Amino acid sequence: MYAVAEVIDEDCVAHKGCRLCIMYCPEANTILFDAEKKVAKVIEPSCKGCELCVVVCSAAKHNAIRLVHR
Amino acid sequence: MSKEKIKINREFYDIMPKEYQELVEDATYGKEGRGWKDVGESKEMIEEHSLCAGCPESIAFRYVLACLPNPEDTVMVGSTGCTSLVFPHVAVHNIHSLFGNQNAVASGLKRALSYRFPDKVKDVVVLAGDGATVDIGLDMTLQSWFRQEKIATICFDNELYANTGGQSSGLMQKGFVAKMAPAGKKFDKVDLPEIARQSGCHYVTMLTVSKPNRVEKAIRNAILIAREIGPTYVQLYTPCILEIGKQMMEGLQEMRDSEGPGKRFEFKEYISDEAKAYLESIAPKKKRKKVTAQTEG
Repeated sequence: MYAVAEVIDEDCVAHKGCRLCIMYCPEANTILFDAEKKVAKVIEPSCKGCELCVVVCSAAKHNAIRLVHR
Repeated sequence: MSKEKIKINREFYDIMPKEYQELVEDATYGKEGRGWKDVGESKEMIEEHSLCAGCPESIAFRYVLACLPNPEDTVMVGSTGCTSLVFPHVAVHNIHSLFGNQNAVASGLKRALSYRFPDKVKDVVVLAGDGATVDIGLDMTLQSWFRQEKIATICFDNELYANTGGQSSGLMQKGFVAKMAPAGKKFDKVDLPEIARQSGCHYVTMLTVSKPNRVEKAIRNAILIAREIGPTYVQLYTPCILEIGKQMMEGLQEMRDSEGPGKRFEFKEYISDEAKAYLESIAPKKKRKKVTAQTEG
């Protein structure tokens, strides 16, 4: 069982210009900006589940990312 | 030019790996004013690598690759360490040198490139860990600075030999106890930025990778100055979370904690007068270019 990040679309404020999770994710091409839905999206196969995105998102009080088990 | 170099022959397009196709279609080769803001909206020049989950070094790698001003004409020279695990997954020309030889290899490479392509701008960037830069390769590092070779040296400082289990390195802070250094470090952290300044580097900076805009500025300055003036040195703090006993999501906080006022990674920057004049001379040019582009457009 692996833990991967999941974006809660309703809470994501990427349309306001927030790029925290995209910026601080240590993996390349893993959290991308979805230009159509205007939210961040996680490419699950390359997520290592380090939880750094959850930390930065909740520190900014957006709480739009959680870890889920797959 | 830029993307022409990596374009795929139409007949072979469908048999190329998906990642390569994405790189051709969506990467920022040849884009003016590349920076960390491209991250997330275009293909990055780094693929899935084998560094640990949450490793700050891989954050640093992403920023450095996103900020190279001229990636299609850049050659990176790496050395043994955690960085050498990433170089096979990087879409920029790179050379793996023997442990510690990176600045010597880069010096030769820079000379050969300027002889072979006299009319082109070719950047040579050294990227190595603290063991290769400060302990094993200190001789080569310093000699290349004394000779005023036009290369940019970037050091990923994680304060120990992370790859081999945590032996103490010259850049480790005094008194720190690591897994393979149980008695604690006996002497002070080597002040390499100061040594670099004294050795003739024209741009020296030390920072953590907790602020991408700062990293972008440092990398851009270092490479642009190394192109025209002389050697430059950038020291980035990328803590090894595994060896200092942190959880995988604590790397960012660790960097923020060590960059406050009076801490050992407080932001430091030195620019020589010559380099400052050069930076000023290229800044207005850019603005002028923008203005002409707007009027033409």
